[in-house]
Amino acid sequence: MNGWILAAAVVLAAGLGATLRGVVTGPLRRRAAAQNLSTALACPALLLLAQGYARPAYVDLALVLAVLGPVGTLVFARLLADELADDPPHARTATFTAAALGAAVVVAVSVATGPGRALVKLLVIGALLVGGNLVASRALAGGMQEGRRD
Amino acid sequence: MQGRRTLLAVAEVAAWWVPLAALWLVLVSTVDPLEAAVGAGASSVVALVARGARRAVTGR
Repeated sequence: MNGWILAAAVVLAAGLGATLRGVVTGPLRRRAAAQNLSTALACPALLLLAQGYARPAYVDLALVLAVLGPVGTLVFARLLADELADDPPHARTATFTAAALGAAVVVAVSVATGPGRALVKLLVIGALLVGGNLVASRALAGGMQEGRRD
Repeated sequence: MQGRRTLLAVAEVAAWWVPLAALWLVLVSTVDPLEAAVGAGASSVVALVARGARRAVTGR
């Protein structure tokens, strides 16, 4: 076990564990926000595991999750728009915490990777991860209704 | 007028193609001529789709 794998274990246990608990308990608004955060936290964990096992090809898993996670949340936001309209989830602190964690992990893995094509790939994954997380959170918090007005 | 419109369409598809092909070359594991050829073809298809999607969203 090295520091990367330890960090991944901490992110998985604390972050993903907390979001899974949020998904299975509580009101709908909390479940929707927690399922969005679950992919935003699993993606950095996959990046850390890829670095920890020294298998750069494994970051493809994080790339797929960074793309599909926010898309899944957008589907939920669209399907549950009526139910969420009365009581929209504003998980601002949790969203920015997850985004900051994702950015920090991407920066740390980028520094360890060094310049090259792999670095550009990591930065693409980071942009998709942070940007997708913020867009999906905004959609959950009522962005769909705003879009519907025009 | 028709010629100008065709030129604009070709320019837009090319403008989509360049970043898409660059993204392909960044994401593949090894850069060799076969990957470059496949990436160029895939980027062409997606560039056409991207222009169609952009026109569907903006309505023009």
